[in-house]
Amino acid sequence: MKNIVLGQYLPGQGFFYRMDPRTKIIGVIALMVAIFLLETIPQLLIALAIGVVCMLLGRLSIKRIAKGMRPLFILLIFTFFFQILFNKEGSILLQETLTISLASIGAIIALTILWRLLAKLRRFRFLLLLGYLAGVYFSLAYLAYGYTFASFVFTVYERGVEMSVFVVIRLLVIITLSTILTLTTKPTDLTQGLESLMRPLKVIGIRSDEFALIISISLRYIPTILDEANKIMAAQASRGADFLQGRLKDKIRQIISLLVPMFIIAFKRSEDLADAMETRNFIPGMKRTRISELAFGKTDILATLFIVSSLAASIVLRVL
Amino acid sequence: MSHIDIRDMSFTYTGKRMILKDINLQIEQGEWVAILGHNGSGKSTLAKTLVGLLEPAQGTVAIAGTIITPETTPAIRKQIGIVFQNPDNQFVGVTVRDDIAFGMENLCVSREEMLERIAFFAKKVGMEKYLDKEPASLSGGQKQRVAIAGILAMQTGIMIFDEATSMLDPYAREDLMKYIRQLHQEGLTIIMITHEIEEALLADRLVIMKEGKIFADGRKEELLKQPEVFAQSALVMPLALQMAMQLDDEATFGEVKAFLWESTFAK
Repeated sequence: MKNIVLGQYLPGQGFFYRMDPRTKIIGVIALMVAIFLLETIPQLLIALAIGVVCMLLGRLSIKRIAKGMRPLFILLIFTFFFQILFNKEGSILLQETLTISLASIGAIIALTILWRLLAKLRRFRFLLLLGYLAGVYFSLAYLAYGYTFASFVFTVYERGVEMSVFVVIRLLVIITLSTILTLTTKPTDLTQGLESLMRPLKVIGIRSDEFALIISISLRYIPTILDEANKIMAAQASRGADFLQGRLKDKIRQIISLLVPMFIIAFKRSEDLADAMETRNFIPGMKRTRISELAFGKTDILATLFIVSSLAASIVLRVL
Repeated sequence: MSHIDIRDMSFTYTGKRMILKDINLQIEQGEWVAILGHNGSGKSTLAKTLVGLLEPAQGTVAIAGTIITPETTPAIRKQIGIVFQNPDNQFVGVTVRDDIAFGMENLCVSREEMLERIAFFAKKVGMEKYLDKEPASLSGGQKQRVAIAGILAMQTGIMIFDEATSMLDPYAREDLMKYIRQLHQEGLTIIMITHEIEEALLADRLVIMKEGKIFADGRKEELLKQPEVFAQSALVMPLALQMAMQLDDEATFGEVKAFLWESTFAK
């Protein structure tokens, strides 16, 4: 439990790391707007290419970014198929009668078994899933032997393919943008950047500095509390508690037996922490100086220029 | 006028049972005082009234001539700092640097000054190489040293250690005591709350608490001449001290052996 890394932050060098978190936050928002203004696939591909060039210049490993985006692949695949299945504009590209027959059901079962057997090869997980889906499609389309349960017509339209590619690339670019932000900015810097950007909200009574303090204390205590949870779990396991097996009801009971002491300890901790903060002269709402300082440097000026010109370019493309 | 001046002070949480009763205690500048007592004797409560976390029901607590009231606590806390028992529960910052800075930020010290003081006091407690480290990667003793640096950086003249070593291993404990001794030599007023006699005996003066009252108060050399004081307040003398007090200079090896046997196994 030592040295827990919070969020996706990956220490490194390069200009993304030197940038002020405020520039990065505003940049990501502005560039997202710019991406949403683009209307054709070539435009998006150019944006993606520029993004990749930036990542290379910033010495970011594309492999690492792709890894960070992995949980979102499901979303991409879902979007892709959603568009293909439900967009019914333009000319027909492909029309196939899919049949659920004895032969195709047999083939699908065999494929499923094979797929699960190969699931150990985690590196090719994505390829295997694609192969599995393709296999299911082909067995539905061509293995219409034996008793037929049902059959339906599967049609792919030109516009559907276009839109699905478009939406997937757009999502890819947007996810890449936010991944770059979280990968190159420490959670604390991110909080501080947000605090600084929210400072004008003081007018309507939102105290951004206290908000930032709350976030940074929460971040600071996550490893401590995880450590505690592990200790309590070990203590309970040594007395026969089993957090993994048993029926759902038993599992819920186990979790409650973990949560109750966790809460009690957390309250005790927060009481102690409040005492410690108070005796070090912390008074909520009072003016304080700050040790960490955000600095707007040369890199930020260049980045701002880049962001403004990209936004302007996409506005021009949209209007023309 | 004493540096710390407690007069006829009583404290209660509920209004019925008094946790502290008629405390009168004067501590001079530069003194090293150990407040000794077993669990429930009120020693930690006393510490909390000294830093204005708890308000006395009767009587007054004054630091450098100013009586602690809700209005004066911010000013009082510039002069008195406290290190608590649990190293984890008092670490506010995300890194060592942030944590040392926390108190100074509250005092509105300028950033340049803060960086200077952090460099100076981190070095003093031997944590200068850890400034960018997160608390999860530090040991308990290191966290306590960071807490000390954070209070030193606020430049309070008085430092309270509320069982600050009780959650540390023996080495870290010894290490911390070394720093406390050094602070005392530099002129800080040190108040150490503890239930361990060995630790308390490092101080010059002992205040023994029992059932919310001050049971004994004096220089350690004088109090050690009255072992019954310790026994009556349920404090166990370290073996070496018991031996030194009960055996005379001409004790034979057999007498030493008999003594050790009796005190270890025959209880």
